[in-house]
Amino acid sequence: MPLPAFTLPPLFARIGPHLPQLPPTLALVGGLNLALDRILPRDHLDALTGKKLMLRVLDAGMSLRFTLGERGFRPLLDTGRPDLCISATTRDYLALALREEDPDTLFFNRRLVMEGDTDLGLLVKNTLDAVDWSALRLPLPGLAPR
Amino acid sequence: MKLALGPLLYYWPREATLSFYAAIADSPVDIVYLGETVCSRRHELRLPDWLEIAQVLRDAGKEVVLSSQVLVESESDLKTLRRIVQQSTDGFRVEANDMGAVRLLSHQTPRPAWVAGPTLNVFNPQTLGMLQDLGARRWVAAPEMSCAQISALRAALDTPLEVEVFAHGRLPLAYSARCFTARHFNLQKDSCGFRCLEFADGIPLNTREGEPFLTLNGIQTQSAQVHSLLGLLPEVQAAGVDILRISPQGQHTDTLLHLFRRVLDGALHPTEALASATPLLPAAPCNGFWRGDAGLTQHPALV
Amino acid sequence: MPAAPELVCPAGSLPALKTAIDHGADCVYLGFKDATNARNFSGLNFDEKSLHEGVAYAHRHGRKVLLALNTYPQTDNWPSWTRAVDRAAEAGMDAIILADPGLMAYARRTHPTLRLHLSVQGSATTHEAINFYHEHFGISRAVLPRVLSLAQVAQVIAQTPVEIEVFGFGGLCVMVEGRCALSAYATGESPNCQGACSPGKHVRWEQTPKGMETRLNGVLIDRFEAHERAGYPTLCKGRFEVNGASYYAIEEPTSLNTLELLPELARVGVKAIKIEGRQRSPAYVAQVTQVWRAALDQLARNPEGFRVDARWMSELNKVSEGQSHTLGAYHRPWK
Repeated sequence: MPLPAFTLPPLFARIGPHLPQLPPTLALVGGLNLALDRILPRDHLDALTGKKLMLRVLDAGMSLRFTLGERGFRPLLDTGRPDLCISATTRDYLALALREEDPDTLFFNRRLVMEGDTDLGLLVKNTLDAVDWSALRLPLPGLAPR
Repeated sequence: MKLALGPLLYYWPREATLSFYAAIADSPVDIVYLGETVCSRRHELRLPDWLEIAQVLRDAGKEVVLSSQVLVESESDLKTLRRIVQQSTDGFRVEANDMGAVRLLSHQTPRPAWVAGPTLNVFNPQTLGMLQDLGARRWVAAPEMSCAQISALRAALDTPLEVEVFAHGRLPLAYSARCFTARHFNLQKDSCGFRCLEFADGIPLNTREGEPFLTLNGIQTQSAQVHSLLGLLPEVQAAGVDILRISPQGQHTDTLLHLFRRVLDGALHPTEALASATPLLPAAPCNGFWRGDAGLTQHPALV
Repeated sequence: MPAAPELVCPAGSLPALKTAIDHGADCVYLGFKDATNARNFSGLNFDEKSLHEGVAYAHRHGRKVLLALNTYPQTDNWPSWTRAVDRAAEAGMDAIILADPGLMAYARRTHPTLRLHLSVQGSATTHEAINFYHEHFGISRAVLPRVLSLAQVAQVIAQTPVEIEVFGFGGLCVMVEGRCALSAYATGESPNCQGACSPGKHVRWEQTPKGMETRLNGVLIDRFEAHERAGYPTLCKGRFEVNGASYYAIEEPTSLNTLELLPELARVGVKAIKIEGRQRSPAYVAQVTQVWRAALDQLARNPEGFRVDARWMSELNKVSEGQSHTLGAYHRPWK
């Protein structure tokens, strides 16, 4: 069943910015690092190395800042202007992850906003589009049943 | 180096066009390209009129070339194209501006020498060599090509041929099935009222910050800035270019031709020439394409 | 009534290719990760591994893979393009889509059995132009620029032995493809040679007090108020000032949609319908391929009774650039 339209209640957006941003950022980079090199080829993402990235979850009032370093993604405490900032709501991020929505369509509708270095934005968008989720179903190295 | 007058890209009233070319007979230009290359609806001059002008200019000692239309769509466009190609064996050289024209020229017997026009998308010696085999004896580089690209291509050819560059004028940047002049006046192309006649240099288009950016010329889109290699002529000469194309503008074309001629003759410094030319242009000059940059960039003249 | 046209769908990535096949594409077209194709954007396109997997997947399902090598090689980088032709032949491509005559000559000479298509970037708008490529390189198919009316398409088909493919849906180039240097004029990067219109590194989106601004190498293309739909950062879809009026002087952000013309296109003998959008996501490919497959199947079953299903149009409008769709040059008032 397709994802229904929803936004988090306004309370989240009001409270969100006052909560520590580190825990959700740690969860995000943790997830990304799990994917890195397994389904996200590191060499395709080289251009992101050292760039200040920011993911804004609008209805949760969260701004997650992170970067790609030598040993993978890590949170960034720097509050300066990011090189790339992507903004959307919780629901739309989920729909994108599930491939229910096309990022360009969300972008035309102003529901997905990209600011800063557009080339980095295209790299992120196209690399995520190229992730072959079916590869995840393959057994993990070392955990192979036989 | 020879000077060529490119085909008139705008739509001028008949009398204005005729008197413009009458004056060209006495100008310091060696080659004149004639004909309607932009829009088949334009009819102030028809092919017989162009041929008459061609005859007069040839009698005045000019080499005359008939340019074919760039965007050929209808059977009637093709009919006109065939009549132009017919001239290639009957008297005048033809500039081929699409591959249909190339095919028709290569089928003529005896096979004529022709000019490979700037819209054929020739970017490498393999393609140009093939066109040479089919009769191309001169190549007009696409205006977007840089000095480095043109020199490299020329150097790699098995058989040399004349190389011409777009040296002065608003850059022809794009062609469409849609007419942007008609669109501006909320008219349909089929009943456009020939509003192009009112704009000797096309209709200026600015950004929403008021910066001149493009020019609407019917189905053609041009730069707002006037591409000019006048200030860089020594560099152009060094690149082995044989012919400079000057694109007609609403006013002062003749003065510009004289300025180019005097620089080529060593009678005027390029910097001075550009300084004299600048007030005569419909907009600021640019020359970025020549250096491989954004076309709208202006590099200073050589000192 | 000739057979229903083939459905040719875009693939910017392996998941998009699989999605296109799964949703009923007859062919997919794709490009390498470099300037040899006209969608040379960061993170897009195929490397050797994804290419081989993609070709195997398509062939296993009895579908075809076409490779776009439709930019123009230059004197000093010529070998990159010929190497791409060789790689395509080795990978078992069903056809390559070329624009450059010199490269076609190379492909014909080096791989005589490899099928050649003339790209839309070749700007061939008449049978005379198309037959030029047929005579010299034996091309099997030509993709028409989006400039001709239906009657003109029919005239081309009647006078050439070459199969004709037309664009059916997707982003609309207002300019004749292959003859547009607008982006090069603003950025210095040539779509013809470097394969990208409005390359990402020159594009900036910025929220300002006046609205969301988009710039190409500093040139203001458009400014959107909060409620307005956005478009791609291409010059031809921007808002400019002409004689004091501020409007979409060249074209609105809009998509081509010729679904309602499908019976006519088939009747005049169009062999293939191309869906634009290699830069789009697998989600787009799924939605668009599904609709066009359904339409083509309905046409094949019942050519006389073909009706455009309102749901098809709303599905397609959802993924379109801009508020609307257009018939483009097929519709005279558009011009």
